[in-house]
Amino acid sequence: MDLFADNLPAYLSGFWTTLRLTVLSGAFALVAGVVLAAMRVSPVAALRGIAVTFVEVLRNTPLTLVFFFLVFVAPQFGVLPPLGFWTAVIALSAYTSAFVCEAVRSGINGVPVGQAEAARAIGLTFGQTLTLVVLPQAVRSVVPPIINVLIALAKNTSVAAGFAVVELLGAGRRIALANPSEAMLALAGVGVFYLVITIPAGVLAGMLERKVAFAR
Amino acid sequence: MRTRTAGPVALTAAAVLALTACGGSDDEGSSPEVSDVAAADFPEGSTMAELAEAGSITIGTKFDQPLFGLVGPDGTPEGFDVEIGKIIAGALGIPEDGIEWTETVSANRESFIQSGQVDLVIATYTINDERKEVVSFAGPYYEAGQSILTLADNEDIQSEEDLAGKKVCTVSGSTPEANLLENFPDTEVVPFGAYSDCLEPLRGGQVDAMSTDNVILAGFAADDDAFEVRGEPFTEEPYGIGLALDDTEFRNWINDTLEASYEDGTWTEAWEATAGTVLPTPEPPAVDRY
Amino acid sequence: MAQPDPAPAREPGAAPQHPGDPLVVLDHVDKHFGALHVLQDINLTVRRGEVVVVIGPSGSGKSTLCRTINRLETIESGTITVDGVPLPAEGRALARLRADVGMVFQSFNLFAHRTVLQNVTLGLRKVRRLGAAEAKERAMALLERVGVASQADKLPAQLSGGQQQRVAIARALAMEPKVMLFDEPTSALDPEMINEVLDVMTALAAEGMTMVVVTHEMGFARRAADRVVFMDGGAIVEEAAPETFFTAPRSDRARDFLSKILTH
Repeated sequence: MDLFADNLPAYLSGFWTTLRLTVLSGAFALVAGVVLAAMRVSPVAALRGIAVTFVEVLRNTPLTLVFFFLVFVAPQFGVLPPLGFWTAVIALSAYTSAFVCEAVRSGINGVPVGQAEAARAIGLTFGQTLTLVVLPQAVRSVVPPIINVLIALAKNTSVAAGFAVVELLGAGRRIALANPSEAMLALAGVGVFYLVITIPAGVLAGMLERKVAFAR
Repeated sequence: MRTRTAGPVALTAAAVLALTACGGSDDEGSSPEVSDVAAADFPEGSTMAELAEAGSITIGTKFDQPLFGLVGPDGTPEGFDVEIGKIIAGALGIPEDGIEWTETVSANRESFIQSGQVDLVIATYTINDERKEVVSFAGPYYEAGQSILTLADNEDIQSEEDLAGKKVCTVSGSTPEANLLENFPDTEVVPFGAYSDCLEPLRGGQVDAMSTDNVILAGFAADDDAFEVRGEPFTEEPYGIGLALDDTEFRNWINDTLEASYEDGTWTEAWEATAGTVLPTPEPPAVDRY
Repeated sequence: MAQPDPAPAREPGAAPQHPGDPLVVLDHVDKHFGALHVLQDINLTVRRGEVVVVIGPSGSGKSTLCRTINRLETIESGTITVDGVPLPAEGRALARLRADVGMVFQSFNLFAHRTVLQNVTLGLRKVRRLGAAEAKERAMALLERVGVASQADKLPAQLSGGQQQRVAIARALAMEPKVMLFDEPTSALDPEMINEVLDVMTALAAEGMTMVVVTHEMGFARRAADRVVFMDGGAIVEEAAPETFFTAPRSDRARDFLSKILTH
């Protein structure tokens, strides 16, 4: 295990970057995804149109291409995003928010329409209807798919390795290059670090699912 | 650790040989049929004899490297590395259509050789001591060196001396990246997935320079007047032909073949038809029979 | 509150002798569901204090009519005014108007994740902006009035259908609405629970609440309605005082409908 002992700082540095990418992008994507879902069910046609377009474009575009457009195409229109970490956060947040939106929307659709009608009938506004009546009831069915989206996000952060961010995979490639005889082992180490994020997330999903179920 | 990984790798290599029956790179894989190649000019049981008898060879090269190995719209790669591969194959009596080109990237070259997925790797493959522990190298057949590309109107950076405090783009997990990290601590390294990815950030000013082997940079500078190569190469990157570790017989034969190509002018022809279109023709480097 | 005049208003707006002024007015209202002309040139005026019962066969458009009054269904042409104010488009003004129009649904639609008490206080707190104590006090008084105060801390799913519908009525009353809409309030109830809901509604009518009730309960219509509106095929076919309507319907369609209802 000399390979891991010798390169632990490099692994940990990459892991830390991957973790920050996951947590920050996940937080932004959750907020943006809920807002998008709210827009998709809003009574204002323009908001629905904007949200549908955004979600469908991002959901159906490969993540690499999202990065590509942000890094290579946006500058040609005068938009110069800061290279590296924050570009990756923007790309990952935008991409993931589309999937969060769809998970939340399917949860909203799972709440009987009469609940929203009753809320509107007593004079709650659209926003109050959503936050006080619909979303609280959607939470239970939304949590498991959201955790899956976040697990996918953790793995998707590796795409940033190709776009000026030295996260786990980038660090692993460097270690592999410096140790050609143990290159495969170096990359296997990368896989282990991803499990450190994704397995607890899966366990957390199970716990939350039970907790929210009891709260009903 | 090494002994533990060697097991599965050897098994995989054996499996590949058994399943595909394509020309293997394992010098010990002498099967009874090989003796039938007695007519050939190669020693019995040698890798050369096996490949010549099979009439085919699998060569790994880069598919995205202008001038050296770049796949065109028809799917076959072109460039100096590809021409060198044709010289080696031709000396084995294998025609061009007997060569199977496989894309190898920086990260998988050793494993492709070790597992026997390719017979040779000719892919801007720098010879160094770490790699010599896992694969053998014939050559070098070209001496490259790391250099710097900037915008043509950049006046700050004239050589590698001016990189302190600058953002320099390169490829994640590459030798130039490792070199920058080790020898230019004051430089901010910006790693992308491919060298061509560096061009737009360089054009837009998001990075100040890009750095990799001079021959690669020369290709970009030749394609676009906006870019210029600055300074002299500041590293030595001898490009070698990677093959299975300890296949000394094959390695020596490839070295002989390379030297013959230096003598009869085919090496120079190959250069001039490819990288020589934008770069001066150098003297062929002396092969290193380590 | 003055006892409403049971005399029918034959034509909307053509009964100036009625003590109540017009509260809900539908004027030339049309609506389609795809090819189906679900509301055809509807003209209806509900006066303050009046109890209007809307009856008709399934698919006659009576529920849709009821739901257009607080804009849970939009209309394509015509106008609807509530207390003189045309229904606003989606937005805060519409929300304010809905707070003044109580609605009771066929399937109760109590907020499943909130207790009975919270169901009633939600609108008081978030729409009427009452303090917690005052909201609870008013909610408890209403739950007492509909006879489910002892269930205040339970979740809706723990109550019987009749109890749930009575909570729904309390929830709507809590907003102190100008008019109450009932969209088939007893159709989803087991027979033995129907009367407990109708009793609450009858009491409400007696207190002078303005009500629009879509129902199949002919007994309730006879007992509590000031006026019966008979709909068929998306149109209002007949309007009359309940006695007149049930004993001497003028249209063939109403006669046909009543003969089917009353033989059951």
